[in-house]
Amino acid sequence: MALDFMVIFEDNNLIALLEGLWVTVSMTFMALILSAVLGLIIGLGRMSKQKWISVLCSWYLAWFRGTPLLVQLMILYYGLAIGMQVDLSASVAGVLGLGMYSAAYVSEIVRGAIQSIDKGQMEAGRSLGMSHGKTMLKVILPQAVRRMLPPLCNEFIALTKNSSLLSVITVSELMRAGNLIVSNNFRYFEIYIGIAVLYFLVNYSISVIIGRLERKLSVEGARA
Amino acid sequence: MISVKRIHKSYGKLHVLKDVSLNVEQGEVVVMIGPSGSGKSTLLRCMNYLEQIQEGSIEIEGKPIGLIQKNGKLVEMPQKELDKVRSEVGMVFQNFNLFPHVSVLENVMMAPMTVKKTKREEAEKLARELLRKVGLAEKADMYPDQLSGGQKQRVAIARALAMKPKVMLFDEPTSALDPELVGEVLTVMKQLAAEGMTMVVVTHEMGFAREVADRVVVMDGGTLIEDGTPEKIFTAPDQPRTQAFLSKVLSH
Repeated sequence: MALDFMVIFEDNNLIALLEGLWVTVSMTFMALILSAVLGLIIGLGRMSKQKWISVLCSWYLAWFRGTPLLVQLMILYYGLAIGMQVDLSASVAGVLGLGMYSAAYVSEIVRGAIQSIDKGQMEAGRSLGMSHGKTMLKVILPQAVRRMLPPLCNEFIALTKNSSLLSVITVSELMRAGNLIVSNNFRYFEIYIGIAVLYFLVNYSISVIIGRLERKLSVEGARA
Repeated sequence: MISVKRIHKSYGKLHVLKDVSLNVEQGEVVVMIGPSGSGKSTLLRCMNYLEQIQEGSIEIEGKPIGLIQKNGKLVEMPQKELDKVRSEVGMVFQNFNLFPHVSVLENVMMAPMTVKKTKREEAEKLARELLRKVGLAEKADMYPDQLSGGQKQRVAIARALAMKPKVMLFDEPTSALDPELVGEVLTVMKQLAAEGMTMVVVTHEMGFAREVADRVVVMDGGTLIEDGTPEKIFTAPDQPRTQAFLSKVLSH
């Protein structure tokens, strides 16, 4: 069989792939928001003075970082439905699974960035009479966010790539759309190259957007 | 104004403050001197509870800071109350600790707006006034990293003054500065002292101590070994340890 990249454009294949891409992008986006919010909470929680909060958050990190995403997705979608009669839709299970998994990594990014800020900053805030929370919000986090951006960029790109695993829990995202096409026309090389290019375009855009954000946030003359 | 009573402070097994007591009156300028590691910075940081003490009490205008008696035991006071006392005690750090992500003006405006809920226009007016006072009115829109060390420290003083504190604590305010920048910071401090601000200053600037201090306190090995007027401490100290320390710092 001679290579023929035109198959990508035949039989509505391109439309199927683009529909899959849309599902990938929108689900990744929702997972990304969940991951950022949950990651911030877990990361702050790990530094809490309340022992039980920090222990709980450490266990969250240990569990979600220490088990494969694929296994977590299987438990969420098939395991819960059959074992616990909790019947999540494939998209809900997918967003939850991706978001919770990624939040573990984001929490470490958050904690690392916050702890890298000089402790004199917290002391200065507190000595002015600002509370711990207010100093965190107005002094520490704005500086920490800048330091979080490069590792967050990595994490969000990993999240997009990991979303291809959602194909095994029947989410009709890009990978699954490709699998369906291939099972009809056996054009493995052409279709998977096409899919790879689409993933690449999404991830390249993420790195460009975060790069711009980084430049925008780095105020002239300000370190960190 | 400040009353430190028999405080003890340890880092693990290291006993850094041993039964220290000190009173500072309204309008008084007290300078703390002593060899490094003598506990003078630690004592100063205890005065707004940046360091925790294990025993004793510290009161600012009769109000305890940090530890309070509760059911006969010493416990940490609620954060809200601690913040309230702290807002009345200004602190200037050796390393300035300005907020690098906001402008000079906003460094000075932040605490009044956050803690006292001062309106933006009002806070800005106050901040510009204070920056003029420390001679940096024209730097308001710059960022801290665009300033020299001396300018940074003067902004830090303005930032602390913005909370209208009753006491100002200075923790080696000129130790991180190039020699030629020390003068501009000391000038601002002298001006504050002349206005009647109550000040506690940890410093190695003996000239400043001599000229501005009402009282000089000498610390060594975690205890307060001598307390007196600058004339007495610098010309006829009682303690041989004070003599030994002064002969080292004044001989060159």
